[in-house]
Amino acid sequence: MRIVVGIKWVPNTQAVRFDPKTGTLIRAGVPSIVNPHDFPAIELALRLRDNYGGEVIAISMAPPGAIQGLEHVLGMGADKAVLLTDRKFAGADTLATSYVLAKGIEKISREIGPVDLAIFGHETIDSSTAHIGAQVASWLGWPYVYYVRDAKLVGDGVIRALRQTEKAVEEYDIKLPAVLATAIKALKPRPVRLSYKLRAKLEKPIIIWTNDDLGLDPRCTGLKGSPTIVANITWMPEVPRKKIVYKPKDPRDAARWILRQLFTDEAVAPFLRKALWGEE
Amino acid sequence: MSGEVKGLRPIKIEDLLQRTVYDVDEEPHIEIIDERGVPKELVKLCPCSCYSMVGERLLYSYEGCLECGLCRVLSEPWGLRWEYPKSGRGVQYRFT
Amino acid sequence: MSNSNVPSKFDVVVVGAGPAGSSAAYLLAKAGFKVLIVERGRGAGTKELYGGKIYAPPLREVWPNLDKEAPIHRWVTTERLSFVWKGRVTTLDFKLGRRVAFTTYLTEMAKWMADKAVEAGAVLVDEVRVDEIITEGGKVIGIRSGPDKLYADIVVDAEGVNRILLEKLGLAEKINPDTVALGVKEVINVGKKAIEERLLLTENEGMAWLLMGDITQGIPGGGFIYTMKDTIALGLVLHIGKAYEAAKSGALKDTVPMMLEKLRVHPYFSRIWRDADVLEYGAHMTIEGGLRYMPKKLYMNGLVVVGDAAGLLLNTGYTIRGVDFAVYSGKLAAEAIIKAFENGGPTEENLSLYEHMLKQSFVYKELVKHSGIVKMMEDPTFFTKLPAIVNGMMGKLFEADYEEPTVLEALLESFREEEMSLTRFLLKMFSVVSRL
Repeated sequence: MRIVVGIKWVPNTQAVRFDPKTGTLIRAGVPSIVNPHDFPAIELALRLRDNYGGEVIAISMAPPGAIQGLEHVLGMGADKAVLLTDRKFAGADTLATSYVLAKGIEKISREIGPVDLAIFGHETIDSSTAHIGAQVASWLGWPYVYYVRDAKLVGDGVIRALRQTEKAVEEYDIKLPAVLATAIKALKPRPVRLSYKLRAKLEKPIIIWTNDDLGLDPRCTGLKGSPTIVANITWMPEVPRKKIVYKPKDPRDAARWILRQLFTDEAVAPFLRKALWGEE
Repeated sequence: MSGEVKGLRPIKIEDLLQRTVYDVDEEPHIEIIDERGVPKELVKLCPCSCYSMVGERLLYSYEGCLECGLCRVLSEPWGLRWEYPKSGRGVQYRFT
Repeated sequence: MSNSNVPSKFDVVVVGAGPAGSSAAYLLAKAGFKVLIVERGRGAGTKELYGGKIYAPPLREVWPNLDKEAPIHRWVTTERLSFVWKGRVTTLDFKLGRRVAFTTYLTEMAKWMADKAVEAGAVLVDEVRVDEIITEGGKVIGIRSGPDKLYADIVVDAEGVNRILLEKLGLAEKINPDTVALGVKEVINVGKKAIEERLLLTENEGMAWLLMGDITQGIPGGGFIYTMKDTIALGLVLHIGKAYEAAKSGALKDTVPMMLEKLRVHPYFSRIWRDADVLEYGAHMTIEGGLRYMPKKLYMNGLVVVGDAAGLLLNTGYTIRGVDFAVYSGKLAAEAIIKAFENGGPTEENLSLYEHMLKQSFVYKELVKHSGIVKMMEDPTFFTKLPAIVNGMMGKLFEADYEEPTVLEALLESFREEEMSLTRFLLKMFSVVSRL
């Protein structure tokens, strides 16, 4: 099975600070990381490959700095990586990004070998759209299941994706090729291994494709191919919060204490009473 | 001069640690195995205030760990599992 | 190794891409060895914490183009030493006649050193933690990380101050808290212009400023201020064994981060960064008593130990030398390894040359020469009485309303106040000075 897994190289949002003077985010000097929500996707791809054979190819549309992130994924055990990088791709919204990724996957199918499965994370920590999996599936015309917690092959060319909702476990049998998106924290990622990382450093199995290689119409990529307009960003005013530290004797005491706090709070108590007992 | 003088303003430890970059591992790299082998003085001495007393219990939260090794030096080997984080995770110094 | 195309053996495996590891790797790669550096951080330098003064001459022996190529922030032209006591501050200010040391962040410097090693042909594998140095029949044969083993003719242990691998190997004992210190540090974005104006520096000129007194609340140690290009590094170094005792007895009022905060908001020092903000906070362990921290042996069949792991750091109170010692030990290790291969291989006997060379070098001589002051550093007389007496005397000399005392009167009076006899103090200082 040839599995492509999508990676986004994102700023470590924990380190992004807010400048109250200018109202902007301070991103300077903030190191990038592999989008944390991509790790369940990487882990699922690697598990499927370990179980059924084949190869895992990590793919990313990003500036060259993302090579560090792709090396991390290679260090976890991915077999190859493809970096789609071009100034023409810059400023892309999810539509233009998914278009380039889909074309990259098609090129992998043509030149490396047919892709059976593409897996993406749920969303990214820097934009939280959760669009990419669905959009790539649309461009490719492949079936798509999201919130996937696990998957296995059942019969010839059919994958069973396991989805967990609040009340039920759903199982979808879909024909390959297909696209999956994993749920947040669905699977615990494996660590980077010395042997894999060493291979990544020595053999450099990262293929770099620019737009000259993909041959896409520049009107469909980057800023030009992005119909999304961010009209305005309004920052939420910071609500002053009261902080109390209470050291409970046991869980029962903790629960009692929290309830007492809520029911004696003038701002909260009326809503609670109304919600629980319909009191006005 | 007007406005607040930042250099003179105290900064809460939680806020201070926000300025340092972490890529926190899902798996803790430090774990209290036996409290009797880990001194309570770490509540004062740990530079990132990762140790705290909750009632009689000494608790440890690894997320803000600066990987200095102080608690390893002051604890018994049987009291504390102390390792560096894997996969390049943990604190990511940019300046210092 | 699972993959057949990737070598399962290198000539040299270096554990840790710090100053010691990268200098050894650089020189060995240049000499034609197949070198692998394994680093736990994400790229070299991301786990380093030292924003301070580095002596250039030993580094130039490894990288002759250091001055032109390395990420040097400022050349130290002013050294200051301040005694801080209850709101009073007495400062010695020395303008250097020539430039020997520079300031930089070790995060940048270590990255530069590792890049040099890679340029010379070494392979750097980052994000990988080494779990064990593996031996066979008393000989080191390689390393293990998780399920992976990698073999080498020789392993250079440059793992740093937390020598987990050496302890596992049995070459070092569990760290004695009295031989280590805790360093905590903040990086403050003062700005280039403000640094130069407020500290009387010109372009590229830098300051190393050490502080001692009640800022460490009676714990042996001190504070430091280093000027970088446009930031200032502010921190404290605290003797861990004594800090633990103080915390245990209840003598220590504040948490360690609070102690640093009190220094940051100190009315005298904080004017330097009055309009600035803290960019980063960090902590790292450092060595207090170099020779006492040193493992009994710095080599065995197939292994040499360099840098902090070998205890090669000198903290005299007025100066800290670790980076240049580390680099120099890496250089000596590389030279000894090259010699050992010429003489038949990295056997225990051949590698004993490393320890021999190290003991002949300025690094070891410095450590021996200053072992007296290292002892004195642990003496509370030095940390509490000296700043109190100095500031007490200055106060009497300059804070008199009508009648000024003579210098001798002021001195004797401040000794009396600190319940210390001048003769006892002088004897103590003399015994220390004689060991310097």
